[in-house]
Amino acid sequence: MLKNFLILTLKSIRCRSTRSWLTILGIVIGVMLVVIILTLSSGIKNTIAGALQTFGSDLIIIFPGKENNPIVGFLAGQKFKERDLVDLEKINGVKSAVPMGIGNLNIEYNGEVKSIMIHAANWKKYVEVLESSQGIKLENGRWPENDDVSEVVFGHLAAKTLFKKEVGVGDEVIIKSKRFKVVGNLTEIGEQMIDNVIFVSLDMLGSLTDSRGASSALVKIMPGANINLVAQQIKFQLSKQEVIRDFSILTPDKADRLIDNIISIVELVLMIIALVSLVVGAVGIMNTMYTSVLERTKQIGVMKAIGASDDAILSLFLIESGFIGLVGGILGIFFGILSAYIISLAAAGFGIRGLFSFASLDFFGLFVVLFFTFIIGVVSGVLPARQASRMEPAEALRYE
Amino acid sequence: MQSKDTQLKIDPVCGMDLSEYVDVAEIHHQEKKFYFCGNGCEDRFKKDPDKFQGEPLIKLDNVWKIFKLGDTETKVLRGLNLHIWEGDFVVIIGSSGSGKSTALNMIGFLDRPTSGQIFLNGEDVSSLNDDKRAELRSKTFGFVFQQYNLISWLTAYENVYLPLVFSGKKIKADKLETHFEEMGMRERMTHHPFELSGGEQQRTALLRALVNDPEIILGDEPTGNLDSANGNKILEILIDLNKNRKKTLVIVTHDDGIAEKADQIITFKDGHLVRDHQAHKKAYTE
Repeated sequence: MLKNFLILTLKSIRCRSTRSWLTILGIVIGVMLVVIILTLSSGIKNTIAGALQTFGSDLIIIFPGKENNPIVGFLAGQKFKERDLVDLEKINGVKSAVPMGIGNLNIEYNGEVKSIMIHAANWKKYVEVLESSQGIKLENGRWPENDDVSEVVFGHLAAKTLFKKEVGVGDEVIIKSKRFKVVGNLTEIGEQMIDNVIFVSLDMLGSLTDSRGASSALVKIMPGANINLVAQQIKFQLSKQEVIRDFSILTPDKADRLIDNIISIVELVLMIIALVSLVVGAVGIMNTMYTSVLERTKQIGVMKAIGASDDAILSLFLIESGFIGLVGGILGIFFGILSAYIISLAAAGFGIRGLFSFASLDFFGLFVVLFFTFIIGVVSGVLPARQASRMEPAEALRYE
Repeated sequence: MQSKDTQLKIDPVCGMDLSEYVDVAEIHHQEKKFYFCGNGCEDRFKKDPDKFQGEPLIKLDNVWKIFKLGDTETKVLRGLNLHIWEGDFVVIIGSSGSGKSTALNMIGFLDRPTSGQIFLNGEDVSSLNDDKRAELRSKTFGFVFQQYNLISWLTAYENVYLPLVFSGKKIKADKLETHFEEMGMRERMTHHPFELSGGEQQRTALLRALVNDPEIILGDEPTGNLDSANGNKILEILIDLNKNRKKTLVIVTHDDGIAEKADQIITFKDGHLVRDHQAHKKAYTE
């Protein structure tokens, strides 16, 4: 019985294939979004967690602006006095405080001009923090000798991919019509914020941008010191400085939570979009089913005349709409995974690795999605199917 | 509708209500009074009075069908009384709009009466639920329509198989193929309706009507869309089913040629049966 009904349904879908496929497409898009979000979100979280790890677990980051929107502080260009930051070293448990600058400038090499992010710090302390806490190492060359020389160190990707010609140790680049000598480049970390930037001294950045001060700071704490306690002391001491009123002190723990929150919000928004598009897809199924009930009114009459019960007609239409939902789900999952894979490949091209792997696919989640689309199909088909099944055969037969 | 005090004069054979006629033929049989429409029913009664005093296979009792479209009411059947006897070949004639197709739909459970009762083998079936009606349709009736009404996206074979899907009955594939063979359509089994001629489509529809081995075959102008050669072929098959396989056959038609071969001719006008000497004279004098 069921088998016969399935065959019947398939045949009837095949005779209206264009419309059926378009309806399926409506579901595919929604499911695709859901699947992309499902498969990439864990990858994104892992990647960001990895990024935080490279910051080191014994580092505290200080930046202007409120914790929940650090971007605003940076954009406003608020800067600490270097002195205030260096004074943090007096706090018990602080090993070193490295005032840092950050900027985005055009850089010329071999006739090409590109914009790049610049990290700046006092070399001596910065190198120590980089090497010991963040595991960043030179691949070639050396660190600049002091803060006054016009020397620059390239991150791995910045050296390799920024310009057509790879930047090597000993080459010269021009930043703001000032010549800089490339004295070293770094090994690959797998982290945009390190790999795709160049490093100069804080003094150099100051003179390049005509603004003194530090836009953030890295504080390395003593081994065994209580990081939260130190963070509180830093907060207390910094609140006495007068340049910046709102500043944030980010411990690795806090950063974790913060980023988790941001990702959750992004995920939520995307999920809502995906669900809305699924609802639209469901309405599409309903629309198609209503049209097909209308279109097949006479056929329904014929089927009833040759002995089809109300339930049989109901089943035929429900199987059809459920099938449309299910096929939409299967294709959506397939294209979702494919898109996630392509996105991760593209991201890898930009140095962001490990967004997606087949091994980490959540099969249970995918099964739930599939089941859900089937249910969506069936539910959207209920009203039209009921309308179809309740028709009086003579009435349906009169319909042309 | 009829008031209860009027004594009903129902023709026991065709079921026609004769209450409004004055010159009604009446005979006494076993001390009972019977009224006849004068359309040949009297002769049939005399041949087998016992049979016609029993329960007809199908009985429509004061059936009304009123279609409402907005504010307009169309009374298609107006107090229809009709008997159909087992094994009969009944032809229903009448002008368009006289309600003959609607009556056929009532007989075959394709439609519900607005009021009145329908009996099948003496059992009141007018208030059955949809499921029961579907089951009876599937078991008892085979329909043949003027428009063939095959499902366009199924092949001829699948169309014939379809009633079995709904009835759950099983028939061996080679038996079904033999049926096609008998209709001269073995080569056409896998064709879709649009690849078949009108005659072939109607033969397929006939096979479909017969596949559940129904007791009663209902035809709504089954030859109406066919040329005379194809029409006659279908008619021959139908009559053969009636004569040799004892199927009750009820056909609505405009075709006088069909009427001539019937056991019983029923003439519709304005939603009920009327006396029609002309049609009968023509049919029975040949």
